Amino acid sequence: MRRFGAAVVSLVVFLLAWKVVVLLGDYPDYILPAPEAVVERGIRAVQSGVLWEHTAATLIEVVLGFGLGASVAIVVGTALGKSILIERALSPYIVAAQAVPILALAPLLDIWFGGGLLARVAICALIVFFPIAIATMVGIRSTDPLLDEMLRSLGATAPQRTRLLEIPSALPVIFGGLRVGVTLAVIGAVVAEWAGARTGLGVLVLIANQGLFDTELMFVALATLAIIGLVFYGLVVLVERRLVSR
Amino acid sequence: MAVEGVRRRCPMTASAMEHVTTMSSPSGLPVRLAGVGVRFETPSGTIQALENFDLEIAPGSFTAGIGPNGCGKSTLLRMVAGLLAPSTGSVEVGGSRPRAGDGQVGLAFQQPRLIPWRSTLDNVAMALELSGDPPADRRDRATAALERVGLSAAAALRPRELSGGMAQRAALARALALDPPVLLLDEPFSALDALTRESFNAELQRLWLERRRTIVLVTHSVSEAVGLADRVVVMTPRPGKVARVVDIDLERPRPADLTGDSRAADLAAEVREALASAHPLELRAWADPEERP
Repeated sequence: MRRFGAAVVSLVVFLLAWKVVVLLGDYPDYILPAPEAVVERGIRAVQSGVLWEHTAATLIEVVLGFGLGASVAIVVGTALGKSILIERALSPYIVAAQAVPILALAPLLDIWFGGGLLARVAICALIVFFPIAIATMVGIRSTDPLLDEMLRSLGATAPQRTRLLEIPSALPVIFGGLRVGVTLAVIGAVVAEWAGARTGLGVLVLIANQGLFDTELMFVALATLAIIGLVFYGLVVLVERRLVSR
Repeated sequence: MAVEGVRRRCPMTASAMEHVTTMSSPSGLPVRLAGVGVRFETPSGTIQALENFDLEIAPGSFTAGIGPNGCGKSTLLRMVAGLLAPSTGSVEVGGSRPRAGDGQVGLAFQQPRLIPWRSTLDNVAMALELSGDPPADRRDRATAALERVGLSAAAALRPRELSGGMAQRAALARALALDPPVLLLDEPFSALDALTRESFNAELQRLWLERRRTIVLVTHSVSEAVGLADRVVVMTPRPGKVARVVDIDLERPRPADLTGDSRAADLAAEVREALASAHPLELRAWADPEERP
């Protein structure tokens, strides 16, 4: 349990600093609520079932959006890495799509994809796609050409070289992209919910902030989003430790 | 940590020898290079690596190639292995153009080129897998190949845990496990210490006498070339050509140490003289007393 010691200490320090800022600044609750007020509001939200309803909706979007976005990104990234021609043809669109603010496009995408869960998953996947596709491309390109030649001399076909050499040597870089992508999936889910949804933590943030002026509840929703991000990030790291043995 | 303990072990054990003699494979194939030229286009201009290279290698013969750095020795081997097509002229193995990975030619590269995330054993087994070996057979054959080079104790280690010499031996085991009709060795013993190197040379000679595959060995060592080969091909500096072919008519099996053999000394002097006249500036390096047989 030693490894959690530092995390626990830093959490305590963070909460204390927060409390000190609130005490010194004497801010009203709707600007910056005290940590214990947020915790207390969180307990009430859990007891009433409100928090879980919204969390469940967001979790589904994050899991499906990340799964879809990451899968497509790894396939496309592999193609980009293996073929200069494909990279030249596709990368302008991929980069341009990434540079366009998704926040502006989200309402349209929501309409194009029918406004349901599918639309939210698509928006989330779109945000996840870029870092993972680029990481996969860079990873595939980092394959040692000497090892590739060795495999060719042993009679390995192109699919065999991808399976035996390119994907394994790209894995550490791909996982770098997955780590970034999984945290972006949480943001993607919130953006998608803002474009049109009735449940989800993004919706709860809007309701609390603009409808109820319940800043404590907004903080509860934000903290839950942060925890979802941490948990998924941790899961990716766990899978990485199992797959990438160096 | 590298397991240095296994380095001193005799590279051949009784059970491995048994395995070798029961292995059946086609015998060596002839190799023919006619008017071969290789050009590389680089940003700074064209490099003529080889020019008008002619060489006939008899099936089952042992040829050593020797020459200064950058004379195209590795390029030559890559061409025979089918990894590179000549710009001009023709290369034939067993009468047809070599194709990479068709099982006719095995190439042990200058660098070990082991897959870093696979164990030593898996690296050897992977080569057998790619050659279409049945799964049940692979591990046994890979184990036997490692035993032959004295690496049994390192079977489970990753390449980064091996010393330079051990990695080179693992790469050699990978090439030997496939037992190809034509075996190309690109300075395969450069990272081995003198003692291990001597026992490997003896082992290589023994294997060759037993199976009569065609072997082409590229080396920097005159004594190694004279001690092992039927013919020593001396190459010129870039663009590489055949400067002289020295036939080595020493009796076999030859002892690992040919010091005091006057015929061997004469042949070595002839090779050295050919090297020196092909590239006078290299004379000093080749006259290194360490290199004398």
